[in-house]
Parts: sequence; structure tokens; C-alpha cells
Amino acid sequence: MPATLYGSSRTRRWLLSSPPVEWVIYYMQELLINALRQGDIPQHVAFIMDGNRRFARSSHIETVEGHNMGFEALAKILEVCYKSGVRVVTIYAFSIENFKRPLHEVNALMEIAKIKLSQLCQHGDLMDRYGASLRVLGNLPLLRRDVLEVIEKATEMTKHNKKAILNVCFPYTSRDEITTAIREIVTLSTTAQAPPSPSLSDSSASSSSSGKTVIPGLMDIESITEQTLTDHMFTADCPPLDIIIRTSGVGRLSDFMLWQCHPNTEVVFLDCLWPDFDIWKFLPILIDWGVKERRRALEMGKKSGVREGGAQRESVF
Amino acid sequence: MVTAKPQPAPAASSSSYAAPPPRNRFGENLPKGILPRLPPVDPRPRPIRDFISTRLYKLVLATLYLVYSVYLKLRWTYHTALNRGFSILYYHHRTPQLIQQDVMEVKANGKLPKHLSVILEYEKGGLDTLIDEVAEITCWCASAGIKHLSVYEQTGVLKSYISTSHRSIAQRLHSYFGKSRPTLRVHSPPSGSFNDMSDEEGSGAHVDIEVVFISEEDGRESLVDLTKTLCDMAQRGKIMSEDVSIELIDAEVKENVIPEPELLILFSPNITLKGYPPWQIRLTEIFHVEDNEAVGYQVFLRALHSFGKTEFRFGR
Repeated sequence: MPATLYGSSRTRRWLLSSPPVEWVIYYMQELLINALRQGDIPQHVAFIMDGNRRFARSSHIETVEGHNMGFEALAKILEVCYKSGVRVVTIYAFSIENFKRPLHEVNALMEIAKIKLSQLCQHGDLMDRYGASLRVLGNLPLLRRDVLEVIEKATEMTKHNKKAILNVCFPYTSRDEITTAIREIVTLSTTAQAPPSPSLSDSSASSSSSGKTVIPGLMDIESITEQTLTDHMFTADCPPLDIIIRTSGVGRLSDFMLWQCHPNTEVVFLDCLWPDFDIWKFLPILIDWGVKERRRALEMGKKSGVREGGAQRESVF
Repeated sequence: MVTAKPQPAPAASSSSYAAPPPRNRFGENLPKGILPRLPPVDPRPRPIRDFISTRLYKLVLATLYLVYSVYLKLRWTYHTALNRGFSILYYHHRTPQLIQQDVMEVKANGKLPKHLSVILEYEKGGLDTLIDEVAEITCWCASAGIKHLSVYEQTGVLKSYISTSHRSIAQRLHSYFGKSRPTLRVHSPPSGSFNDMSDEEGSGAHVDIEVVFISEEDGRESLVDLTKTLCDMAQRGKIMSEDVSIELIDAEVKENVIPEPELLILFSPNITLKGYPPWQIRLTEIFHVEDNEAVGYQVFLRALHSFGKTEFRFGR
């Protein structure tokens, strides 16, 4: 049985890689992507790339090789994203918790990251072709110096690109991000020299309702809102997160984009492992989003139509 | 590396920089070494061609959407039938023993969540339905042996009906368990709690099931409030900004809102968190049933089953 399975998958692979079939598939993809471009497309998509290790284990290859294949899958998905009009892609490449993994694996991951990041950002490669700029988000001081240098170089090389953004969350956890944001705000609020005396702050609190008299040089605490925190997150200037996709059938966010998952973010959990995640699994999600968005727009239109034109129409008929 | 296009040889590329080829059809020049990033020198407008291709794409998109909508309808029919079947197969008949029996499998093979959370919607059926749903879920939890239940409802309407809901839940518990019903405590984070007055006296007494109502204001807003408090303390010189750590925030959030739930059940057809507290949901297992819109016992049971099977894999 396994032998026949192996044989059939090999013939299938042979068939799929034969030039005419490849040509047809390529143009099919182009057609679908261009078609989707005409409809509603999410502006910000996030991926949790889970399952590289399990993929390696199940197909009997080295873990590092699994990560490499994961990167290849990512490159393909990125291309689909940018072609179809997604502006910001955020990926969870490395969690701060991942430092707990065996040292050799962490080192191997760092090496992969170094190679792939600089490769991605070369002239004429993916980032350049789609006008995407690279940003590495997270607790960067935790990284080794040589990795940091590569990151700096890669970021610098794609800085001028304005059409799209690739956020690579490198040593990242969402709690760390939120804490950093809060710490920044606290630091900002104390940048003034002298702390206010209780009576002063009391008077400012009472007068703030009538007029606006903030102690000069000190931040008005009441001016802190959700937006303030959002502006201090790593993803400050990105559009709100529309879809977050996690592969490998695990139903957790695992400390990723917790703050960014606002009320309407669609969370999608997929059963396939990340290296198996390809355009044919991604397109249905985009179509689904487009259909839902259109339905939402229709409902909104109906509601406003009822409010504005409904009464008139009733009187006419 | 990404595309199938042939990579130009470095030597050829340097020569082609010096003398660009006269005609610039994209494919023809590639072997000579013009990099794909260079814009084609031939941006001749082709209005008719563009128009036709746009039409074609629009047509394809409309077909796609149509086909997909049909598929959605079929999927919905299939899932609804399936869910009906499940809810007939697994019904609790308001007997805790039956629920215990259903949960036994999960308990034996895996684990039960200690803290369960659900997201309910107010707009679907009004306040009565909402409280009814809360009462049902509380009874299931009490029967299964889950001691902490937090109910998230975006608008926070439940918070102003704590005593009413306490009464309904107590009644429902009575109809499930009879005389020896479990003791109950209902509260919401900022305000005080509503304990069982009947049998237990002190608030520190043993509580079998604890129900917490949370809403959107316990989400991002609670973190905003925490930031304000911390800023205020920093301005008064009580803390330094370096003191702000994950542990500090975690402790504050746990104390003032809710601790991390282990399992979150959504009774909606797709997963949107609707403003659920972000800090707490870090490792929470999120469960929903595709195309399901009802608060049903079978969803609850399937969620427990799916939770029991997962191996704890985080970081390691």
C-alpha cells in the first residue's frame, strides 16, 4: 500500500511539473488572483506558521529542512498576497518562548533567518518586485549581534519601498509588545521634570472638564485612550488586522497579535501543516472574506436604505 | 528562488547594463540579463486590452463568488443536519448524571478545563434568551465539574442584571440537581459579587461554581485604565517606568479582570473575538463549530472533547 501511494504521488508530481500542465496552472493562478483583485481584499493578513517541525517529522527529514520548506511556502504565499492586493503581511517567525528550544535548533533557525532575510531583500527579489518594505518587530535586543546586523541591512535596503509591508515578528510575544507599549507611555508621561503636587493635579482634574489646562510639560493622563496604546504597538502605522491564519490545527493564538485582534478580525484555524499551506488553501480564505465583506456591505446598504429611503418609498407605493 | 523565471547570469547582466536592448518585450530580454525589477520601457497604453481584461476578471470574480455562495449553502445544509443529529444523539435531559457520563470519556483520556469561557450574543434573542443561555451553560459546567465560568457579552448588559441572573441560574440548577444543588457565586469584575445567601453564610465559604460576567470594557479598556494608573503612579514618583513588566501587568489584570481561561467556546459560525480581553487569551484554546448558530449542548461537549485531545505544545 505505501509503495503504491508513493508511486501515485510521484506520477502526480511528474504530471504537475510537466510543462503544459505547469503553464495551465500558472495562468489559472494569475487569472484567479487578478479576478480577486477586483473584489474586496483584506488589507492586513497575519500568519502563524506552525507545523514545520511536525512536517519534518512526518516526512522523515531534518527539522532544519522542515523550516526551510516552511520558508519556501511563505515566499509563495507572500507573492499571492502582494499580487492580490494585500498591503500588510505579518508573520510570526520566532517567539520569545522559542528560545527555550534546543540550542542547536535555535542556532539553525537564526542561520536560516539570516540567509533568507538577506535573500528576500536583494535587488530584484520578492520584496523589490512588489515594492514591499521589511520590518522586523519584537524584542530585538534578545538577538545575537550578527543577526541584528543582517536585519539592519535588510531593513535598510527595502526602506524606500512604499507599496506594501512585510512585518516579521522575530523574537516576539504579544504580551511583551503590550508591556513595551505601556512602558513607553509611562516613560513619556514622566518626561517632565517635577512631579505635580496633589493639589495641582486635583485642580487640573477639576478644570479639565470645563477647559483644558494641562500642567505644562506633563502628559495629561486622561488623554490616554485605546488609540494611544495602538499607536505604541509595533504595528502602529499598519491598517487594522483583517485576518489571522494559523495552520496545523491548533486553536490558539499563542501570544500573537493579541492587541491587534480587534472586534472584527477573522481568526482562521487550518488543519494543514505550514509547509503544505499553498495558494489553493489560501484562495478560499480570500474568496470567503470577499463574499462576507460584500454581504456586510449589502446589509449596511439595506439598513441605511431603510433609514433614508424607506419612508419615502412606502409613501409612494 | 521564488519564481520559475530563469536567473540571469551575473556576467551577462553587467554587460546589458551598458547597452540596453532596443526592443523591450519582457520575456525576450530575460536571457540577456535585464533584471525583472527594471520597469518595462514599453508602457504603451492599451485601453481596449485593459478594458477587456478587466471585464474578464470581473466576470471570473462574479462566477467565483456565485460558486462559493452555492458551496456555502450546501455546507451550511450539511452542517445543520449534522448538528441536529448530534443534538438528538447527545441530549442532557437536565440530568447531571448523563452529562457526567458524557464527560467521563474526556476526563479519562485527557483533561478538563478548570476555567471555561463562552462568548454570547445579546442581539440574537434579547435579555431573557441571554440569561436562559447563561443558566443552561452554568448547569452543564456544574455537572461536568468545571468550577469557573466566564461569560463574555460585548455590550455588558448582563452586568446590570446580576441579581436577576443569579436567581435564574439558581432556579435552573435546582431543576437539574434537585435539593442538593451546587452553591453559586455570580459577579462581574469591577462591581461586587452576588453570593448564595441561602445556605452559606460567609463569602469565603466553599463555592461550587463561580460565574463571571465580562464585557468589552474589560478588554482593551482595562489595559488603558491600567496604563493610566501606572502613569499616575509614575508621575507621583511611586514607580519607575522600568518597573513595568509582564509580571506586573499580568498580576494586575488577573486580579482586576479574570485569569486566563483554558477554553473559549464560541457559538457563532466563524471566529471573531468581538473585543474579548486580549491579555488573557494568550494560550486559550478557541473552539467553534462551523455554520453553527445555536447555544447547544453538543457544541459544549464537542469543545470539551477537542480540548481533551490537544497536547500542550507551547514554545517547547
